[in-house]
Amino acid sequence: MSVAATQFTPLLSNDVLARAERMRLNPLKRQTNRMRGEHLSGKGGTSIEFRDYRDYVAGDDIRYVDWNIFARLNEPYLKLFAHEEEMQVVVLLDASTSMDFDGKFELARQIAGCLGVMGLMSVEKVSVYSCGAKQDGPVQLRPCSGRASLKKFFRFLEGIQPGGEFPIETAIEAVLQHHRGRGIAVVLSDFLTLGPIPRAFNLLHGAGLELYAMQILSPAEIDPDMTGDLRFVDSENEMTLDVSSVGELLGIYHEHRLGLERHLETEARKRNGRFVALSSAMSIKEVVFDTLLRRGWVR
Amino acid sequence: MPQFFSPLHAALFALLVPLIIVYFLKLRRTRVAIPSLALWQQVINDQRVNSPFQKFKRNILLLLQILVLSLLVLSAMQPFYPGTEANASKLPILIDCSASMGAKDTNGQSRLDLVKEEVSKIIDGLQPGQQLTLIEVGASARRITDFTDNKVLLRTALADLQVSDVPSRLDDGLRLAQALTRSAPQIESVRLYSDGNLPTKVNPSTGKEVAAVDFDLSFPVDFFQMESAGANMGITAFNARRSTTERWDVFVRVEGSEHGATSGKVILRSNGAVVSQETIVLEPGESQRLVFTVGTNEAHQLEVELQPQEHDSLACDNRAWLTLLEGRDLDVYCPADLATFRHALQSTPGIHLEPDADGASKRGNYDLVISDDLQDRLRPATAYLFVNAVPEDLTSELELRDGEATIVDWKRDANLFQHVQLKEVLISNVAEKREGITDADVEAAGYEILAHANNGPLAIRRSEGLKTTYHLLFDPDRSTLPYRIGFPVMVSNLVNETMQQASLAETRSPTTGILPALQVTKSQTFRITKPDGHHEERESDEEGILLGISAPLVGEYEVREAGELIDQVGLALLNSSETSLKSVDKIQFNEMAIEATGERPTTDQLLWRALAVAALCLLMVEWWYFQKRPAGVPD
Repeated sequence: MSVAATQFTPLLSNDVLARAERMRLNPLKRQTNRMRGEHLSGKGGTSIEFRDYRDYVAGDDIRYVDWNIFARLNEPYLKLFAHEEEMQVVVLLDASTSMDFDGKFELARQIAGCLGVMGLMSVEKVSVYSCGAKQDGPVQLRPCSGRASLKKFFRFLEGIQPGGEFPIETAIEAVLQHHRGRGIAVVLSDFLTLGPIPRAFNLLHGAGLELYAMQILSPAEIDPDMTGDLRFVDSENEMTLDVSSVGELLGIYHEHRLGLERHLETEARKRNGRFVALSSAMSIKEVVFDTLLRRGWVR
Repeated sequence: MPQFFSPLHAALFALLVPLIIVYFLKLRRTRVAIPSLALWQQVINDQRVNSPFQKFKRNILLLLQILVLSLLVLSAMQPFYPGTEANASKLPILIDCSASMGAKDTNGQSRLDLVKEEVSKIIDGLQPGQQLTLIEVGASARRITDFTDNKVLLRTALADLQVSDVPSRLDDGLRLAQALTRSAPQIESVRLYSDGNLPTKVNPSTGKEVAAVDFDLSFPVDFFQMESAGANMGITAFNARRSTTERWDVFVRVEGSEHGATSGKVILRSNGAVVSQETIVLEPGESQRLVFTVGTNEAHQLEVELQPQEHDSLACDNRAWLTLLEGRDLDVYCPADLATFRHALQSTPGIHLEPDADGASKRGNYDLVISDDLQDRLRPATAYLFVNAVPEDLTSELELRDGEATIVDWKRDANLFQHVQLKEVLISNVAEKREGITDADVEAAGYEILAHANNGPLAIRRSEGLKTTYHLLFDPDRSTLPYRIGFPVMVSNLVNETMQQASLAETRSPTTGILPALQVTKSQTFRITKPDGHHEERESDEEGILLGISAPLVGEYEVREAGELIDQVGLALLNSSETSLKSVDKIQFNEMAIEATGERPTTDQLLWRALAVAALCLLMVEWWYFQKRPAGVPD
């Protein structure tokens, strides 16, 4: 039996998948829905996880009185348990043509897969939106949860084909027209857009979604090695741009690229979100088990 | 205004057309697909804001290439700024390499170095079609290059030029130049570089000293005079005279130049040991004569050294050497039948005369042989005087006949006849020229006629190697000569000359130029080591004379036979004119005079090298501009 045949999904190797299953998303704020779920909210609830004691007041359910303490102190105290609520994990996968370069989209799908697995295994509501121009709007994987949804989840990811022009800010706006629920919004994109990113981040924040923004660029975009007079062709819309003495302009290019990184990070932080810039040359293990783990995005 | 040697090369500017066409053809940009133009669009917008010369920078490559090509074409056109120098197609340059040209100024730069700098500029400015020939003028003239425009060859020959420690012989150089002007009519003028230190004479009309050169100048000469080096003092004479049979008086003359007072120490060494030393101070142009005394009981190898205490321009005139032989009597052979000569000789001190009263001859070698028998030529000697005998090789030209003869003229400056009055001497037999024979026939046989009678030569001389032979072609006993005061004077002259030849009466330090003839083993090869370490192999002739060895440098010359040192001769400059560094700005030739040119003509300034270098630099700038790491790229 071949190795491929034993793989659960071609996107992730079994060891990565197994490790991802044991990990959990770690949002800064516990933005959850009132629907019962497995995500522990700050409010008291009926889960089996003990949280605190408080004085008994009239009307409280006596089933939660700690009789052992009552026996010792002759005072009724109520046991409080953590309330388990469900959390929405919205994965926005930029599938425009600009992502179809040097493994950017592959890495984005792998990250989406890992984070989705973590959400599913936490019995969160995981939904995926693929934003490309080959479809009229975002292609959606409706919210699903639990191990039982793993198969469906990976089939959806495997079926996404990148292509077309669909600016990420437009994609976010379109997703929010369909989505309801608070939680985490994982945005996987190169953010190479001329549109207003802050507005899109505002919409996410306003929708109660904590932003996990990941900018994925290829090595050729991070450190281009080009000289001479070139005609750049935009992969999304075939627009051209003549640039002379490209080598001389690389300094300005880097200023703008780093400036974009700083801009995205600032805008995300303003909205209690997170931002990280990744290279498509990085492996999924390096991204998830090192970068994201160190930054506390997952645990 | 700059001019061009090759204006036709301007046609190469047509290459600009294909250059521009190729540039724009090449400008079809390479299409590069990138994920998004978003960043690059911002970069371009930013660049347009930051760079007002953006349009210029976009075509900077084309502009640089046009500039480089233009510079190269201009170089090919060979532009130049015309100088004031006439552009003769062939130019001989005479360079004075005499001792005074080695005079160094306080910067350590010799006159010859200054000449080399000036001639280098001429070589650098050599135009196409122009040719130079360099002529070294020292004790003789030598062409060191043919007419050539090969700058490497000319520069190499110029660099190899060295000062010779000899007086200048300008006339030799001019004769060589004259020969060139005859063979190459393109020569318009001859250029002479010298410090003007030439043999002078006083112009009677102006009372000013001018350089006198015995030469009929038939072509224009441009005389470029080098500036004087400065103060100098040097030894100009070093000789010795035997004052008594026991001692030598050694004379040293030290002269100073006219460019300042000088002082120094004169040290006399004999066989390496210091004999005496004197400190002298000379006013400008002053000379001082020093006298030392050494004994005659042994041979002396004398060396005098002058150690100047101030700046001394010329170093080669600070040493001189002199060889003093052990004192002895002069050995003279004179047969008894020449009673008049024997009587005169016996009254001269320091002479050992043979045969003695018994008719015995003890010595095999003589210094002087006086005889009326030509067979006595077989007696080895350095000087001979034969009377009343015609040499065997002149018997076909001359014949001794009886009859009265009167003396027409004689060489009063000949050694034999100095202070000798031959006028009105009566002679009863003399050698007459045979039919059709002239004086030239006698001279052609190698004889110098010293005195003429009305019908033939009266006294002749012949020098062969170190030997000198006099012939009195009459019988003195049959003339009134022995009764004249001139007779003992003549004999004394002969004795003195012989003593000088034998270095017994007076000796002088040999001077540079040619090594003095040396008496060595016959037909052997000798190795002569010069002061600069160079060697020369020479073979002695059948009479054991080694001569004709060039000795242009001051110093000691070693002569070795099969590795064994057989003689050591020190040569000195000993030239008052060279030591004085006196220079004149006017040279008087036989019919005309030339004056030193004050201004130096400027040569054409070639610009093509500068343009070519500029093009190369521009290429390097272009390469750097497009290869440099752009600013702002993070590591």
